[in-house]
Amino acid sequence: MFTWSTAAPAISAAFLASLVEVVEAFTIVLAVATLRGWRPAALGTAGALAVLGAIVVILGPLLDRVPLHLLQLIVGILLLLFGIGWLRKAALRAAGVIPLHDEDAIFAAETAHLGEEARRRKTSLDWIAGITAFKAVLLEGLEVVFIVIAVGAGRGLLGPASLGALAACALVLLVGAIVHRPLSRVPENTLKFGVGVMLSAFGVFWTGEGLGIEWPGHDLALFIFAILFLGTGLLAAALARRPLAEAVK
Amino acid sequence: MTILRDVLAELIGMFVGDARLSAAILAVVVLVALLIEVGHVLPLIGGGVLLAGCLAVVVTSVRRGARRAAAAQAGGEPGGPASE
Repeated sequence: MFTWSTAAPAISAAFLASLVEVVEAFTIVLAVATLRGWRPAALGTAGALAVLGAIVVILGPLLDRVPLHLLQLIVGILLLLFGIGWLRKAALRAAGVIPLHDEDAIFAAETAHLGEEARRRKTSLDWIAGITAFKAVLLEGLEVVFIVIAVGAGRGLLGPASLGALAACALVLLVGAIVHRPLSRVPENTLKFGVGVMLSAFGVFWTGEGLGIEWPGHDLALFIFAILFLGTGLLAAALARRPLAEAVK
Repeated sequence: MTILRDVLAELIGMFVGDARLSAAILAVVVLVALLIEVGHVLPLIGGGVLLAGCLAVVVTSVRRGARRAAAAQAGGEPGGPASE
């Protein structure tokens, strides 16, 4: 049985990370639906969700067989690679080094790309549209599955973390159904910054536990790590603005 | 086959989007493992090295990305992290 203080970081990390990924997938699914209607978009999405579901069903029982410390170490290292990668990109975007993610531009580019693909391949546009939706949901969904497993598996919190991810999916679908356009007003880089901070904090925590480190304060150490990664990410973004400003001069 | 290739590329990109960053993180983890297992330092000291090392990796990696972008911009060349 879990307590809320233990589950809250896993639920919120899974929710926020999934929110970012689902918004990205939604933009492409919406482009498909706008161009060819909801049938190929829904079929592609359903197919991808079935594949993702199968991955979870197959991976879930396998995880129970891995010794806990080894699982924590592997998941921790993967989280460090993934989380610090996100934090680095978000800091570079915040500093203006990398352009911000623009959902409206992606929507327009994807719509144009779909039409071009249909002309070039002389294939049914419905088929290409369905495959495009399938790929978008599968690729973004893989990241969601990894995040849910990564933040949940080390402490038997797969259920709560899955709930966080499902809540993000429901929220994006609900808002998307109402506004019926790309969710370009979602502060995506701020979310990615926050998620990078949380995943990096989880990464240090699990890697340490996997190496036999008992963190003082146990789960509370996660919050301290998150504060330190947030401060460091902001500092790195501030430092990154200088070389760019000098180059512009 | 294209979908499988894309899935593989996505999985690899998730963890090794930047080879130097990944190598630096792995180096920190290996160093801490060696300190604890071979050097027999207190695990908590190893934890401190792990945390400090990861924080240092964030700063150096972001600064390196910014310098590369600045150099590309000053030389009028495309590339650097701006193309990521």
